[in-house]
Amino acid sequence: MLRICLVLIAALIALAPAHAQEGNLNTVLEAYRANIEKPSRTTITPVLEALVESQAPGVAVFLEKWREKELWQRKSDGRFFYVSKADGGKLMLTDIATGEEAGLADAAELDNLKPNSGVRGVIAAALVQFQLSDPDPERRLQALTALERDANQSHLSILRAAIESEQDPAIRTRKERLQRLLTIKFGFDQATRVAAIESFAGDPGVDARAALNPLLATSIQAFDAVPEGVNVARILTPGRDIEADAAYQLLVDAGKARPIVPLAERKQALVTNIRDGRVGGLPVAELVTQEARDRAYLALAADGSVPPLVTADERQEAVAGHVFAEVYAEPDAALTEAAEETLADINGTVGVYRFLDLALDGLSLASIYFLAAIGLAITFGVMGVINMAHGEFIMIGAYTGYVVQQFIPNYTASILVALPLAFAVAFLAGVALERLVIRHLAHRPLETLLATFGISIALQQIAKNIFGTQARPLTSPSWLDGAWVVNDVVSISYIRIAIFVLALVFLGLLLFILNRTRLGLEVRAVTQNPRMASSMGINPDRINMLTFGLGSGIAGIAGVAIGLFAKVTSELGSGYIVQSFMTVVVGGVGNIWGTLAGAGMIGSLQKLIEFFNPSNTLAAQTYMIIFIIIFIQFRPKGIIALKGRAAGD
Amino acid sequence: MKFTTTLKIAGAAAFITTTVLTHAAYAQEETIKVGVLHSLSGTMAISETTLKDTVLMLIEQQNAKGGVLGKKLEAVVVDPASDWPLFAEKARELLTVDKVAVMFGCWTSVSRKSVLPVIEELNGLLFYPVQYEGEESSKNVFYTGAAPNQQAIPATDYFLEELGVEKFALLGTDYVYPRTTNKILEQYLKDKGIAETDIFVNYTPFGHSDWSKIVADVVALGADGKKVGVISTINGDANIGFYKELAAAGISADDIPVVAFSVGEEELSGLDTTNLVGHLAAWNYFQSADAPVNAEFIKEWKAFAGEKRVTNDPMEATYIGFNMWVNAVEAAGTTDVDAVTTAMVGQKYPNLTGTEAEMLPNHHLTKPVLIGEIQADGQFDIVSQTEPVPGDAWTDFLPESKVLESDWVELKCGMYNTDTKTCVQLNSNY
Repeated sequence: MLRICLVLIAALIALAPAHAQEGNLNTVLEAYRANIEKPSRTTITPVLEALVESQAPGVAVFLEKWREKELWQRKSDGRFFYVSKADGGKLMLTDIATGEEAGLADAAELDNLKPNSGVRGVIAAALVQFQLSDPDPERRLQALTALERDANQSHLSILRAAIESEQDPAIRTRKERLQRLLTIKFGFDQATRVAAIESFAGDPGVDARAALNPLLATSIQAFDAVPEGVNVARILTPGRDIEADAAYQLLVDAGKARPIVPLAERKQALVTNIRDGRVGGLPVAELVTQEARDRAYLALAADGSVPPLVTADERQEAVAGHVFAEVYAEPDAALTEAAEETLADINGTVGVYRFLDLALDGLSLASIYFLAAIGLAITFGVMGVINMAHGEFIMIGAYTGYVVQQFIPNYTASILVALPLAFAVAFLAGVALERLVIRHLAHRPLETLLATFGISIALQQIAKNIFGTQARPLTSPSWLDGAWVVNDVVSISYIRIAIFVLALVFLGLLLFILNRTRLGLEVRAVTQNPRMASSMGINPDRINMLTFGLGSGIAGIAGVAIGLFAKVTSELGSGYIVQSFMTVVVGGVGNIWGTLAGAGMIGSLQKLIEFFNPSNTLAAQTYMIIFIIIFIQFRPKGIIALKGRAAGD
Repeated sequence: MKFTTTLKIAGAAAFITTTVLTHAAYAQEETIKVGVLHSLSGTMAISETTLKDTVLMLIEQQNAKGGVLGKKLEAVVVDPASDWPLFAEKARELLTVDKVAVMFGCWTSVSRKSVLPVIEELNGLLFYPVQYEGEESSKNVFYTGAAPNQQAIPATDYFLEELGVEKFALLGTDYVYPRTTNKILEQYLKDKGIAETDIFVNYTPFGHSDWSKIVADVVALGADGKKVGVISTINGDANIGFYKELAAAGISADDIPVVAFSVGEEELSGLDTTNLVGHLAAWNYFQSADAPVNAEFIKEWKAFAGEKRVTNDPMEATYIGFNMWVNAVEAAGTTDVDAVTTAMVGQKYPNLTGTEAEMLPNHHLTKPVLIGEIQADGQFDIVSQTEPVPGDAWTDFLPESKVLESDWVELKCGMYNTDTKTCVQLNSNY
């Protein structure tokens, strides 16, 4: 044995200088051509090791280019090149080892090599050692990201070495955090690992939990006596913590008990052992009951022709005679204990943050519902018009935003233009609808409902004819991209914050218009008593028209907001019409505050049900509607009900 | 007597004249009618209109080559308006009023299921060009889209082997295709040793737009240190909101890859894809496939439909199905459904990715499985391509359908139980 080892070592020593001498990148690439052509996460490691070991100049550049899908292969001879664009549609080849130009080629003569993301991850991990102390901070960050995704034992020392020289404070913090994470996974001595584990107490980061949880992985094992020398999580009592059958199966798997012969096999054994119409001394005709068959089987087992039956007593005895325990895969008890404590602490923090995140989500959904419903709160809530085409005003606003973006390429400017324009377009559409249809159907709610429903279908079809059926993009300005990230648990996208702010602004604006302006005064007067108002010199026709326009206009603005975070299609509005009516009805008809309360309740309720039933969002919506039906039974006028003469009825 | 004779002669003359006249008129414009049964309005118009245009383009090309059996092809386009029962009515209309020789149509599984009884009753012929959940094989349907073993299973294998995913989130829209596919995938993953606790399933309604909570749930899955991957059977418009939320949450495809079965070039054309770079889709065709025949097809399509239009997988399926039908009709020498059905099995035609498609006795195709990464320009980088895989009508991963087999040549049955050696049923009303 020793001799073989020695021979191997000698061979390795003999080979090693040869490797170092070669040093030419092209030779290494040639040797591993097949693996580089068709790389896989599972087969790429030897190639990368050979490349790094060759210490050829340009390995780091090669790996980077390969990862960025900038490596090309010539079809004729299979050699690898970098390419750059040359005149006449041709590509200029660059030799990988020397960096010299190697002639022109047509794109058709070359294949662009595109490693998949699994392979790119492995390449990135191999690049870490080159990048971790690179002068370019961008590269250092890349290396850190690669380490966060996929690190191994060797990276720990490289990372520790790279921390000292780090100047950038932000990168240094990240490196140090990563160092602690890697120490938990790969550290050598107990004390530093425990310290690293404890340093994450209360840290809600997913990566911290991802590092700690594997330490606590357990498996259930069976022992003859109370186990010693292994890291036991807890002792299991058969029948309470573990099913007796499962416990026995564990014993069978461990070779500590005889396997149970399944019923089907026992039957088969009886069939094969029929001798002269008898099995185990019993006539076949008698074997009509399970009990008789068992007796026959036992008789067969007694003379050893079939494996003996495992009786219930034997099973009980076997289970009782052993100790079952959950055992940590990690042998060091100090580590698991520290991890257990830290994780419990973290889970407490995470629980609080998850509640916060849920509240934020609920708030955001509420603001979207509010924005969609606030126009309806005016037309339906204040004026009492059941306008089924309300959703289509939302759609009109969204398409206005899309059209504006076709003319104004700057996203910030286009949104600023789109908001008032969407208001104007939807306002005009609303006024037209009021003048042409709704006014003629005043006080005939059923006919209004049917007419506006028909108009809503017509508007959808018109939108399909103009814009096609494909969803249109309404792109938010880049400063609204991304999310406000508090930590790995609590985050909310900026676009939702913007919608929230927009909803607040419109709440304020509407309250101002209704309560502080002459128009608002007249609106309230007309809705309470149109004849009295008109005798006071208010023109109810004009007021109705303006009010309806105002409600529709706000729906248009809601359309821009909704288009920004979801999609612009002709069906955009119809998806919100039910929620909008629900919001207004639940909140209390005729009151802006009521709409706010309704949106808040529906939004947070929806999120709460989703939290308890995360696997089916559709079911969550159904439960919510059931809840609302029940709610309306008890408060038919909604959360905030108008009282006295203002109630109108 | 004399009067009656005159009457008889006149009658015979009139009869002869009318027959000759109608025959002449018939010969002048005798065409083979091809029914196109795709929704041109309603929710599914977004996807199906493109397929109607594809069939029209293929018919135009075939007529330029001289038609089929010396006759010109004539398209009969109807609009079932994304209304599933209307699909059945329109199919009946095509078969009984227009007497079409063949139909190309349907997208959603529910529309196909509604058409099936009609075409089986009237012995029609339907080419169905979309990837679907399997568990079906009708004598009167040729399935030119992918069965689960030609899309879902290879994509899951890619996740397991190439990306090392250990924890799965199966997100889908709430209807028959995602539910069946996820059922198959769940069983498949369990067979591969993935624990039940490591599979998260979520269903959302059509057109869902509020994705923040679901995306947060998916991120939280990574807390036990296992690599998380998302398999998305989300259909239609809802994808846009989902990908926007994913991008806003800053989830990189390298951390949590998402593979989609219903998102192709057409769907991405309505989306800003810069933040989606690296996420995956599994299909049998991508526009970026490097093959001369594909370049030719794209050129013709752009000339026919417009410079900005893209090609996608169901278009390729329509292309293969149409050309196979043309060749089968030529081989059979007639458009009679039974003769064409017999001639269809075994038909081979080059697909657009450089290999060859073959029609199998179970009325499914052999197809290569391609996996692509989304690029910033809305196209896909093909990172994995298999040899053509034979489509399996009944999945091997569910115990109840493992024993079933479909073979319309030897067994003459679409639902044959290999255990009991009997044909369970001939019609597809399951």
